[in-house]
This record gives sequence, structure tokens and C-alpha cells, in this order.
Amino acid sequence: MAFSIVVKLSLLSLLIAFPFVTNSYSAYQLGLYLLYGIVGQGIALCWGKGGFLPLGQALFFGIGAYISGLMLQNDVGWGLVIVTLSLSIVIPFLLAGVVGVLVFNRQIGSGPYFSLITLALALVGFQLANSQVWLTGGFNGLTGINGLPNIDSFGSLYFVIVGALVLTTIILSKIMGSPFGLLLEAVRENEERLQFLGNNTSWIKAAAFAISGGIAGLAGAFFAPHQGIVTPQVLGFILSAELVIWTAVGGRFGLLGPVIGVVLIGFLASGLRDAFVYWEVIVAFVFILVVLRLPGGIGAIGVHLSRKIGLNFHSYGEISERSRSVPEVDKIITRELKFEEVTITRGSVVILDKLSFKIEGLGIQCLIGPNGAGKTSALNALTGKLEVDSGEISWCGGSLNNVRPFQTLSLGIGRKFQVPSIFPNLTIRQNIDLSLWVNRLKRNQLLSMVPYTWKSDLLEKLEEVFPFISDKSLIAGSLSVGERQMLDFTMTVLSEPSLVLLDEPCAGLSKAETETMIKAIADLSKSSKSMFIIVEHDMQVVELLSDNVLVMHQGKLIAQGSLAEIRSNKDVQRVYAGGTK
Amino acid sequence: MLKNSANVFKEISKNREKSMNSFMKRRDFIKKSLTAAATTAALGGFASRASASGHLKIGVMIPLSGPAGLFGPASKNVSEMAAAEINAAGGILGRQVEIVLGDAGLSPSEVAQTALKLWRGEGCEAFIGMHDSAVRGALINVFKAQVPYVYCPNYEGGECADGVYYVGETPAQSVVPSIEWLAAEKKVKKFYLIGNDYNWPRDTNAIAKETIAKLGGEVVGEEYMPFTVDNFDSSLAKMKETGAELVIITLVGGASVSFNRAFASFGLSENVLRFGTLIDENTLMGIGAENSKNIYSAAGYFANVQTDAAKAFAQGYASKFGSDAAVLNALSQSCYDGLIALDTIAERAGALDTKAMDKAAEGMEYDGPRGHGTMKNRHLAMDIYLANAVGAEFKIVQSFKNQEPGNFCKA
Amino acid sequence: MEAFATFLLNFVYVSAILALVALGLAMVFGLLGVMNMAHGEFVMLGAYSAYVVQTAQISFFWAIPLAIFVSAIFGFLIEWSVIRHLYNRAFDTLLATWGLAILIRKGVEVVFTRDYKSVNQVVPGTVELFGVNYPAYRLILISIIICIFVVLLLWYQRSKVGLRVRAMVQNPGLAAAIGIDIAILSRVTFVIGVSTAGLAGALLAPLVRVEPYIGLDYLLSSFFILVVGGLGSIEGLLIGSTIIGGTDAVISTIFDKTAGYMSVLIISILFLWLRPDGIFYRR
Repeated sequence: MAFSIVVKLSLLSLLIAFPFVTNSYSAYQLGLYLLYGIVGQGIALCWGKGGFLPLGQALFFGIGAYISGLMLQNDVGWGLVIVTLSLSIVIPFLLAGVVGVLVFNRQIGSGPYFSLITLALALVGFQLANSQVWLTGGFNGLTGINGLPNIDSFGSLYFVIVGALVLTTIILSKIMGSPFGLLLEAVRENEERLQFLGNNTSWIKAAAFAISGGIAGLAGAFFAPHQGIVTPQVLGFILSAELVIWTAVGGRFGLLGPVIGVVLIGFLASGLRDAFVYWEVIVAFVFILVVLRLPGGIGAIGVHLSRKIGLNFHSYGEISERSRSVPEVDKIITRELKFEEVTITRGSVVILDKLSFKIEGLGIQCLIGPNGAGKTSALNALTGKLEVDSGEISWCGGSLNNVRPFQTLSLGIGRKFQVPSIFPNLTIRQNIDLSLWVNRLKRNQLLSMVPYTWKSDLLEKLEEVFPFISDKSLIAGSLSVGERQMLDFTMTVLSEPSLVLLDEPCAGLSKAETETMIKAIADLSKSSKSMFIIVEHDMQVVELLSDNVLVMHQGKLIAQGSLAEIRSNKDVQRVYAGGTK
Repeated sequence: MLKNSANVFKEISKNREKSMNSFMKRRDFIKKSLTAAATTAALGGFASRASASGHLKIGVMIPLSGPAGLFGPASKNVSEMAAAEINAAGGILGRQVEIVLGDAGLSPSEVAQTALKLWRGEGCEAFIGMHDSAVRGALINVFKAQVPYVYCPNYEGGECADGVYYVGETPAQSVVPSIEWLAAEKKVKKFYLIGNDYNWPRDTNAIAKETIAKLGGEVVGEEYMPFTVDNFDSSLAKMKETGAELVIITLVGGASVSFNRAFASFGLSENVLRFGTLIDENTLMGIGAENSKNIYSAAGYFANVQTDAAKAFAQGYASKFGSDAAVLNALSQSCYDGLIALDTIAERAGALDTKAMDKAAEGMEYDGPRGHGTMKNRHLAMDIYLANAVGAEFKIVQSFKNQEPGNFCKA
Repeated sequence: MEAFATFLLNFVYVSAILALVALGLAMVFGLLGVMNMAHGEFVMLGAYSAYVVQTAQISFFWAIPLAIFVSAIFGFLIEWSVIRHLYNRAFDTLLATWGLAILIRKGVEVVFTRDYKSVNQVVPGTVELFGVNYPAYRLILISIIICIFVVLLLWYQRSKVGLRVRAMVQNPGLAAAIGIDIAILSRVTFVIGVSTAGLAGALLAPLVRVEPYIGLDYLLSSFFILVVGGLGSIEGLLIGSTIIGGTDAVISTIFDKTAGYMSVLIISILFLWLRPDGIFYRR
């Protein structure tokens, strides 16, 4: 951290010194690039951290510019300027937020659809700005925009812009380092897992998008007095695409990268274009080279070099000591899970066929059955991953039929998938933090550093069983398959759910690892107040762990009872005699 | 030496004041004064704002990239030609002129950066510009009347900013007489207006509609297209349905080409006339000879204008840049007029000071390839040519003498 | 009646050319996940091929092989030098192909200058159909496009290569395991995709304007068609073009072109939002 502050302070002093060592018009030019750089920082938040690419960011920049331009056409004092600035931030912020919520609520993942929507919105914005002449002045633009009071647009405004950049850098680095920032990175890494850690990821993404929109609006608000004119190009497709490209070239994983990208490409282009007709060719080669050789952008070189000379950029998790006990989670008193004639069909395939059973109390329930019996599908239906066609699933008296994955944890249901699902590019420590926050992190703590210091008794116990999880800086993706299973298991139980769903927790484990895992599950089941449902093929595991066994076949429950009862059940024998394990 | 130079200077000023009768005379004069030109470096002392080198740098803002970059090469050539001729005649205010190009084909904010760099960094003391109105707005805001700026191309009219001199055609000059002539000669009554969705087409059509109403004609359709549109089928169907007899086209660049090609492919070109004020030689080339029937275009200049001055200009261009140099049209040629106008106003004002130049501009006259121009209210009254497309070339069918640009300056 | 017939013909025509132009992008984006921002530039290369053939004063027919050849060569070079390193990195392909688009445009500018070029009508004049005088070449073009799609549909569903492509799209790992060379197959798909764009350019050249900057128009409309039709199926592509072309035609006829354009944008946004897998989803 300290090193990065040194870097930032020296860059800041360079920026402040710039007009004095060069000249006023270069500073004016730099001022514009810094504004674009601010927009790029917002893109970095969404794209670098959140993994979703906003491709129409000029829309928010332009809206900010038009709002500010319309206000500054009049002679206004500082009071109104503050109002203008606030509007320029708040309106794009809200617009981006609404778009984000609407879009992300409909679709999980970070594919190109969201990007194309934002692109289309920028096209709509351009067309409106172009044709609504009464408001925007049309293609010729909004003219007669005054500078900010007592601030020379060609002089001191530069320092105001530098101030805005410092502000956005501080705010965004605070956000990126906060629990919210880690959640956002987790969205990029493994959105589905994060949902099964009880997070409404669409709100996280929408919030990040809203912040990027507000920041773009702020930059736009200064664009109007800087340029004295606002034309539809400021919210068009070309500027949107350029902003993304500059961000990519500079580096989308940090806050300095986008600014560096804009400034470098900006000065490169402006220096070349009046001297060399084919300047765009050089700029194009830069893009292609960066994509091929430097996927992290120019900023990545900086990070790489500083690592080489032994300077590390640490995350907050690595430097915070676990010193405070986690808040208590509300525990559910009655544990009762009921499936009543649950049927799910997809096309001609019947996945669950009037599945009915009821289980209650503590202890370990093992769900067994041949391949394709519908075991995992039953868990999917239970956690909102599969939509139920008919029948009713209820948990503690409430229906789970329309539950969405991220809601299950707040109902006390935690789930571990068969294939270990973790956040591969985050550290083990960060993976653990994310699971500790489940059901405990309050909204007002999203930007607080306190949650990084949380500790829990359960975590300490698990650290004894799985010593490797106490490592702070190891990247989770470097773990072996067995270790991943253990980490995933740890993450699932750390939130202390009342119902723990484990899908083949021992798959892919060595014999020794299997023993460790079985012991961990058995200990936990004894000490915690949770009901466990384990989907399992390995009868040895079932034997060691099960208090009760449910057998499924072809989407139906065919038997339920103790292991001994199941073994003597004729139906079960018939199913398993077919040769399937 | 000094005395000799002073005489030359006086002679230049005198001649400018009078304004020569024909462009050819100007050229003769240029030849005569070529020998004197060598001495003009010494004239720096006479200029009101003597710069160290004595050279007068003029920022020439023309599109070198972007959609309008098409006009860049010819604009550059024409500007160089004008600068060479001005220098041969003794420069501006006795100072040799040096043009510095700036790319005006980018977004307004980028062009503003370049202009500022040329002005504050390179020390340009005057600017001419050939670009769209959005860029003009940005440049006016940068210059804030502290440096003279001549806006060269055809535009919608309506402005009168301090320190800005407009030498391009306005709709009042080009659209009004052309519609009157077409209505009278071709007996058209039903007009259909189609343009891109922005200020210039809307403002142009506002004036066109007034004229049509005055003539007792009928506007049967008026449409504005987004810039990205390249399919005009629904408009063509409407034109057919409404029985339009003259289509007034204010589509720009590529859209105009696409529209006119589709128009002809439906067989509409046989009976329906087309008219526009921005259908230039390049656009016509794109439309293609087989699709150009009954296209009319009006402008202050065509490469094919057959006056002595225009022919001399075109020959000069061809001999300087070769016969396959970028095609001349009203837009690129306007850079020449821009530089000549700058020269003339500056000489009249005796200084490159916008206050003095604003005064001197009123009533300023000069002769150029376009004919005789007189500046009124910062705009140029000039001759307008109406041309008819014959194959891929324009033939002038009518010229309208000394058209008034309209007065946009508030009293 | 006549107006309605014109409307119908225009609607068929615009849907057909949209489908043709979007076809290449559907292959490259739909099958390979490459967001090819240089797609329009291949259409442009095809159009210039037609211009070259015209300048050489040989039959327009030669424009078709030339366009396919030129775009295949460019496609191969681009795939080999850039794209093959970027599969599964959709956003990175977007940036790289943006740069490539600039390079292609500038290259064409060097060779042909910025001037508009006019490619002559191959079959000039109009033909009377349903009581309407309709441009003859447009009718021919519609027929050619229908043929192209029928052949393509049969080929994709019946041929071995088509089967392999489908296997690769559905499960690249498995496809590789059963001996399909993913690298070669991807390259072939990319080259075929951009070649169809070149073919589209050559066929459209007599109708449209030809200049180095026409690519962007084709790119955006192609993306919107894919969005509505869904990725990875030829049927979806056809339906997408019909919806986009139809919406534009209907709204533009009733209101004006701005309304038509806006409605296309809004429909695309709605599809992206509500049916991100397109209208024709069957996986």
C-alpha cells in the first residue's frame, strides 16, 4: 500500500507541475484527457474489477456534460454550480443504476449482452441529442456555455480537474478495497458461487455500474465549461468505444491505468495526426500489440516491475488481523424440509417425478441413487437453480418454489457443488472473508474495513482440520483439487447455515483426504445446530456419516430410513441390482 | 532597399483597396510583383504585430480524417496554392505567409485542442476553417474573437460572431434563386424535402419552404434521416406516392450517394428532378453517371465553371498538382477564398486585429475564382451557379449574380 | 395496393440483404465468440473488389470470386496473426479487431483514395412485378441470397464439416478429444465467415456507395440482427433479419425514418434484455 501511495503522490505532483513546466495549451489538452481518464476509471471498476464491460459509457459522460452545459449557459454562482455538479452526478448515477438493475436481474453472467445494451443506449442517446434541437442545440451543439465562476477555462480549470481526478481516485480506491470491492471481484471470478454465498450479484453489479455512471457524469460536468460547447459526439458510440480502448491500453485492473492510457494515446494521436497522415495506423498497431502482448495494459507493466524489485501491492485482507468476533447469525429453531409431489420436466425429459419426502431435525441425511436419479436436480430445485413445474418445496413452513439462488442463504440454506467452486484468482484469505460475510455483512458495512478483521470460532476449528486455509496470500487457483474441495466446504459451512447441502464432498479426494473430510463433516454435524443433506455415491462415506438415508430413482423417492432399513429394502435392491453403482 | 519595399507595400495596399476587376488582372499583377516578393521579408517592420521571424503563420483547419476527410487533400492543395499566390504578391501586411494544417475532421473537442495548440503553441495569428458547424462552435469558443478566423464552407447561416468572417454560401444565396429558377423553367409544383437529421438541413429547408410557399408550390413531404441510415426505400415509396416533382436533398456525404443511387434504381430519375446545395463533384462521382439524370446542384463554385477566373484557377491547380490531383469542388475551393478574404480584410484593417478587421470587413471586396465577392454583415455576397449533372460531371445551366447572404448581425 | 406491394418487396429485399451481411458475423461471433469489429471492413473489401473488376473492364461475374479470394486472404492473415491468440477472450477480440478495422480502412485509402467509387448497375432498369416497377437487380439479388441460404442450411446440417463445427461449438473440449482439430476448424470458420462478408460486399456494390468508411453501417446492423435472432443458428439469423428489417420498414412507412431507426434500437435493447438468447433459442 505504502508504495502505491508514493507512486500516486509523485504522479500528482507531476500533474500539478505540468502547466508550469510545459505551457497552458498542453495543460488544457491534458485537462480533457484527465476527464476522459476519470470516465476510464469507472470503466475499470466495472470491467477490471466486476468483469462486465460497459460499452456505452459516453452516454453518462454526455448526460453530465449536457446538464452542466444547460445550467452554465446562464450566469450562475457557486451555489448553483454545486447543484449542477450534483445533478450531473446523480442523474447518470440513477440512470446507470436503473439500467443495471433491470438488465442484471434478468441475466446472470457477464457476456456481451450487457455491453451491447449499453452500446445501443449510447446510440439512442446520440440520436436524441442530435434531433432534440430545442434542448441540446442539435448537431451544432449547445453553445454559449460559460466557465465556472472565477475560473479560467484555459487556465485554473485544469487544477479543478486534477482535484476531481484525485477525488475519484481516492473514492474509487476506497471502494475497490472495501468489502464491496471484494464482492465485485468475486462476481468476476465466479458469479454463481457468490450467489450461493447469499449475495444478490445483480445489485452488486448494478451498484458498480451506477458508480461508474455517476463518475462519468462528474467528468462530463467539467467537460462543458472546459470546452464551452457540448455536441452529440460526447455521448456517441465512437467516444464510448475509444474510452474502452484507452482503458484497455492503459490497464483496466487499476485506477491509474485508464488515466495513463488516455493521456498516452491522446498525446500520441494529437502529436502524430498533424504531422503524419496515417497516424491512425500507428494507434491501431498499439491497440493490437497491447491486446496480444499486454492483456493487462500498460499499467500491468508497472505492477510487474514493482513486484520484480520486491514491492508488493497487498490487499486489505492480507494486512488485517482477525481480531473481532463475527456477529451472531440468526438461527432457525425448527428444521423441516418437505418436498410434496415436486415435478420438473424439461422438454420430453422428466427430471423430478412427483418427488415427495419430509425430513426434520439435526443430523446427516444421505441422498443416494443411481446416476440420473435426480439427486442433484432435487438440490437445484431446492436452491432456485431449477424452476419447479408443479408441487411444493417447503423449508420451515415457507415455500421455496420461487426462491432465487442468492436468497437461499438468508433462509439458512448453504450449498456446496460437486465440482469445487471457489474464486480462483482471489487469495484463500479473500475466499474465506467472502464466506464469513454471508448473512453477517450489513449494508452499512459494505464500505467499512471492519469486516476484514472478523474471526469466528468455527473458522479457527476448521483451520486446525485444514491447516492450509490459514494462508493469507496464496491464490486459491493454485490449490490442488482436494484442497479446493476442502476450501469450498469451509466456505459453505462458515456462514453456519441451518441446512447444509453437500454434493459429493469427497469426489476427487485421495484416501487420506477423504478421511479428513469425513471427520470434519462428522465433527461439524455434532457440534453445530445444522441439518446436513449429502448427495453421495460412495457407500463407505454413507456408512460413516449417515443418520438417515433417502434413495431416489428416476425422479422419485423409493425409500427412506436408516442405512440398515435401506439395505433390506427390496425396491432399492432391485434398482441397484441393475448394475449401476 | 527599404524604400523600394515600402513602395511595393503601398502598391499592394492600394490595389487591395480598389479591389481588382478580374482575377486575371490579379494574376498579371502577381507576375509583375514576383521580383519584389523577394524583398518582402524586410517588410516585417511594417506589420502591426511583428513576430520575430516575420513569417505569418495561418492555421488551416481542414478535415484530414473522419468522414469529411475526403475533402482533405484538395483543401490542402488549394490552401497551399492560395498561400503561394499571396506570398508572391507580397504576403499579408507585408509578411510572408506560412500555412500550418490542423485536422478538423475529428470531434469538436479534439479539433479545439489542435486549434489551441496551433494558436498558442505554433504562434498562428489567423485561422481559416473548412469543417462542420459543431467544430466551428468549438473553435469560436476557443478563439473568443482574439484571433481572426475565416469560416470557409457552405453553412446554414444565422451567425455573426466577433472576429469570424463567413465566406461560404448560405441557403438564402443558393437555395432561393435555384428553387425559383427550377420552378419557373421546369414547371415543378410538388416539392419533397429530404435531409439528414441535424441543423443544416432543417435550417436550409426552413428557407426553402418559405420560397416554395411564395411560389405557390406545395411541400408534399419533409423527412429527416439519422446519420446511420443507408436504406431509403420507405422515403422513395413516399416520393412515388405523393407524386413529388422536385426532391430537395440536404443529405450529406455518403447518405446522399446512397439515396441518389437508390432513387435512380427505382427509375425515379427519369421524371423527378433532384436538387441539392451539397451535391459536389465527389458525391456525384459516387452517385455514378448512370444514376445522375436530372440532378441539379447550386454552389458558389464548380470545377466546371467556365468564367475566365475559374478556368485560370482550375488550370493553375492542375499545373501545380497534376491532372490526377484531388478533385476540386465548392468545399475545398472555399479554402482559397478563405485565405484571399483573410488577406483582403487584414490589408484593409492594416492589422491582424479582430476589432479593426470586424470594421474593415464591412464592404470588403475581392475577385476570385468564384467571381466578385462583397462582404456584408461578415458574410459574402457572391455569384451562385446552378449546375445540372450530365453523366458524372456538372454543367452550369445558370448563374445568379451577386446574391445576398442575408443579415444575421443584430444591430 | 401498389404501395403495399412496394412495401412487401422492400421488406423482403431489406431482410434478405441484412441476413446476407450478418451471415459472416453470425459465424464469427455466433460460432467462435469473436466480436469482429472489422466485419464491415470485409464487406467494404468485397465492394472494392467489384470496383476493381469494373475498372479492369471484365464481367461483373468475376467480382464474386475476387471478393471471396481477397477477403479469404485477409481473413486468413488476420486469424493467423491475431485472432487465434484471442479465442475465448471476447472483449479482447473487440479491441484487436477495432484496430484491424482501422488498418484495413487505411490500406484501402492508400490504394483507392478517399473518393467515392461508383460500381455500375449490372442489370439496370426495373421490372414490373405485382403491378410495381421494381429494380431488376434487387430481384436477382433476392433470389441469389435465397439460394445461398438454402445451400448453406443444407451444408451446415448435412456435411461433415458442418457437423464438426456444431460439435466444436457445443463442446470444444470433447470435440478436441474425438480428434477434431479445433485450431484448424476455427480458422476455417473464421475465413469462411469473413468471405461471406466479402461476397455480400461484391453483390451489394452496384446498389450502394463504395468508400473506405462504409464498414461501420454494416457492422452495427449485423450486431442487432444477431442479438434478435440469437447466436449460432441460421434460422435465427433469418428471423432476426426479418424482425429488424420488418420493424424498420413498417415504422418508417407509418412514421418516419428516425422513428424506424429508434424502434430498431429499442427492439434490440428489449431482446438483449428479455431474451438474451434470441427469439430462436433451442439449445
